[in-house]
Amino acid sequence: MAGFATLVSQTDLPTLRKAHLREIQDGARALEAFLAGVERKAFRIAQIALRHEADALDVVQDAMLQLSARYASRPAEEWKPLFYRILENRIRDVQRRRNVRNRVMALMPWRGGEDEDETVDAVAQALDGGPTPPVQLESDEILAALERALAALPNRQRQAFMLRNFEGLDVAGTAVAMKCSQGSVKTHYFRAVQALRVKLGEFRT
Amino acid sequence: MNAGDEQQQVDSPIEQQTRSLLLASAEQLPWAVRSRLTQARHAALQVRDARRHHRLQRWAPAGAVAAAALALLVVLGPHRTRPAAVPVANGALEDIDLLSSDVPLNVDQDVNYEFYEWAVDEASTAPRGGAAAGAGTASSRM
Repeated sequence: MAGFATLVSQTDLPTLRKAHLREIQDGARALEAFLAGVERKAFRIAQIALRHEADALDVVQDAMLQLSARYASRPAEEWKPLFYRILENRIRDVQRRRNVRNRVMALMPWRGGEDEDETVDAVAQALDGGPTPPVQLESDEILAALERALAALPNRQRQAFMLRNFEGLDVAGTAVAMKCSQGSVKTHYFRAVQALRVKLGEFRT
Repeated sequence: MNAGDEQQQVDSPIEQQTRSLLLASAEQLPWAVRSRLTQARHAALQVRDARRHHRLQRWAPAGAVAAAALALLVVLGPHRTRPAAVPVANGALEDIDLLSSDVPLNVDQDVNYEFYEWAVDEASTAPRGGAAAGAGTASSRM
């Protein structure tokens, strides 16, 4: 009791409060910097997987919200694998909903063409921006071909490739994000590279 | 070549080219998309602050009650929990001290010996009949 009283008397409470506030602000700044650092890549990963801009933005926002609400108190080095795990789960949810909707729509042939406009072709999307210089056009075509090739990969291969190659996660981080073993990550990545090499052979220099 | 060996060659040409293309595309996102991402980020940070505030509000009453209970326990606890003194035990200890000390016990200091001596004298010198008469007088009055 006396020790506690001594501790309280020796500790400056406003200083403690300031330190606590500073800690909160630092945490908020760190989270904002993290989200700002991953948001564009996350959007591109979602966009390539879903091939739909609005859906991609929605899943990225959901992933941000969930990370912020549930895992912000976790160590910052865990954020990236957790964020991408959430993102991949959201992408999978959207893909499943689409599959269910497509099956239902297949049973109703009179509504078959209503939602076709929701699937946006990456090539058309790339060309929608108006006149572009020839070099940019060529680059866009290459990018569109790459996106098509990536979208054609099996989900797990695409995830492994995007997280390892594009996002730069290591094997362990990718395994956490994909909720699988590191050996599986290596296998998926290897197969993805092989498939891309077959489809995009002209990329080779 | 197995997957592990392939992973060692991270920077094959196709991997380099795809990475550079994707990174460039991420940097050249349309303004509308970047704006929407910024809004999403701010919304996520607001959710974090709101949840933190809500958590504090939710636990503040419980914390206050716990602190009050702790204070009561600290103030009242020792008096209630301390074992009560046992007079018999204390007395026994005093007796042991007295008996074991070298100082002689002065146990007769409060005894009125003169009264007892006078009473014995009176009893031995008084006539038996008087006592019996006194007793009979007393019994006749009753």
